[in-house]
Amino acid sequence: MMDWNNPLIQVGLKLLAITITFTVVLMIVAYTVLAERRILAFIQGRLGPNRVGYGGMLQPFADLLKFILKEEIVPDKSTKFVYFLAPIIAIVAALMPMIVYPFGPEINLPWLGPIKLVVARFDVALLYVLGITSVGVYGIALAGWSSNNKYSLMGGLRSSAQLISYELSLGLSLIGVILMSGTLDLYSIVEQQSGWYGMKWNIVPQIIGFIVYMISAIAETNRVPFDLPEAETELVAGFHTEYSALKFALFFMAEYVNMFTVSMLATTLFLGGWNGPGVQQFPTLGVFYFLGKVVFFLFLYIWLRGTLPRFRFDQLMNFGWKFLLPVALFNIILTATLVLFDLI
Amino acid sequence: MFATLLFILFAGLAVGCAISMVAQRNPLYSAISLIGVFISLACLYVMLAAPFIAAVQVIVYAGAIMVLVVFVIMLLNVEEEERHPLRLRYLVPTAVVLAALLVAEATFIIYTANANETSPAPLRDLSTSDVGLTEMIGRGLFTQYLLPFEITSILLLMAIVGAMTLARRATLMQPGARVVPGAQVLTKSTVDPKAVGDATPVIAHTTREAEEVLRIHDKG
Repeated sequence: MMDWNNPLIQVGLKLLAITITFTVVLMIVAYTVLAERRILAFIQGRLGPNRVGYGGMLQPFADLLKFILKEEIVPDKSTKFVYFLAPIIAIVAALMPMIVYPFGPEINLPWLGPIKLVVARFDVALLYVLGITSVGVYGIALAGWSSNNKYSLMGGLRSSAQLISYELSLGLSLIGVILMSGTLDLYSIVEQQSGWYGMKWNIVPQIIGFIVYMISAIAETNRVPFDLPEAETELVAGFHTEYSALKFALFFMAEYVNMFTVSMLATTLFLGGWNGPGVQQFPTLGVFYFLGKVVFFLFLYIWLRGTLPRFRFDQLMNFGWKFLLPVALFNIILTATLVLFDLI
Repeated sequence: MFATLLFILFAGLAVGCAISMVAQRNPLYSAISLIGVFISLACLYVMLAAPFIAAVQVIVYAGAIMVLVVFVIMLLNVEEEERHPLRLRYLVPTAVVLAALLVAEATFIIYTANANETSPAPLRDLSTSDVGLTEMIGRGLFTQYLLPFEITSILLLMAIVGAMTLARRATLMQPGARVVPGAQVLTKSTVDPKAVGDATPVIAHTTREAEEVLRIHDKG
């Protein structure tokens, strides 16, 4: 019999859990890319990639092989150290928040006993997510600077300005939920939404916060209609113009992992995480509810990309600072008042 | 055992990054090293059972202040700084003297602390301590330390208003001036349709500001 409380075994188990989480997330991300290409093709009346494997199911692996085998071109005048560091920062900052999300309730495993389906649970999980996300800016800013290319620099600057601006309204839109639940621990926040047969979701009292969060989150992930950093008609490809082969793949993955992160955060904070009808009786159902909600947000991203045109840069800044920020502040005051008088 | 290993790792990282920050010629490398210092310090705070401080350290210092520093360095020319490597050479002896003072001070403190206590203080179990938790910090800020907290808030508000006033100034653009991202550069011809071909550039946030600078008054 192994001693489960041995710190070495504990650390090993955590590392194993983190590895599994990262693998699963990267697999889902790979298929999100495929889904995006197929759905966009459907919206635009095309077929999309459907040759590799059944209906294109092996396309992500073909793409990955291509990224690995392509020639790496490093610009001669680039600042080498920073140039190599930037994609690493981007992908590390994208993957690190993955471990704090609870993706299921406490379930009974056959011979391991009850376990909580969350890799790491701690007091300031929400702040941890925000902190790591804010470090992710460096990946983009440094990539733009070190490439020694005007388009890259413009893309990097635009992107940093956009991320800094929308980070504020993103953070403020979450404060309503924190005020209601009184904790920063994501697991407790999800547990508090389990009333009303698993339908007592925060989205109902926090609808303003949710809308502000979704708009800021789309801007934070540099997606349409806020994809100015890589507006290809103006900036070639923005900050990753000079990146090729696997380093480009890292930026690409980081973008999709970031989409996944904000979708998981939206699910956890506003849509009740793994809560839903029937989870009390069958806890395993919670995992599917959670994944279903996350996939819904990913689909929303793709849908928006097929539907909306791009903002202009001054419109983007005005919208973020003069509309979203005041609305988020108003939401905080409103929620604080309601919480003070015990109305929600 | 793990705690000691992790402490050595993060403390070493912090010291290494700090040395690298001072030693680097390139300002951007210094800035990156400083970010490394902040993140290592955040890891140390987590080990000292102060996760809130750690998170705030990363969000505020690494995520906000240093982004602005990197932003400014990226916009300025780095090469100019590298051409004058010997500019601050005269500060080296001062630094050596100050470092010696610091080491002496630290030794003195450790010596007197050990001399006063007959036995070393028992290590408190940090995992059960609640001083660093968010709730305790919140209670402290809004009850015992309310006045300093409010004064700091007002100070920050004043700084924001000051920054706004300084930044929102529409001016005629000087030759060779650098444009802050977010500011608009308008030519006179965009503001005043009659002045065709006059490309006097103006930095302004709105067309009305540009009109005021160029003294074009809307008569309609």
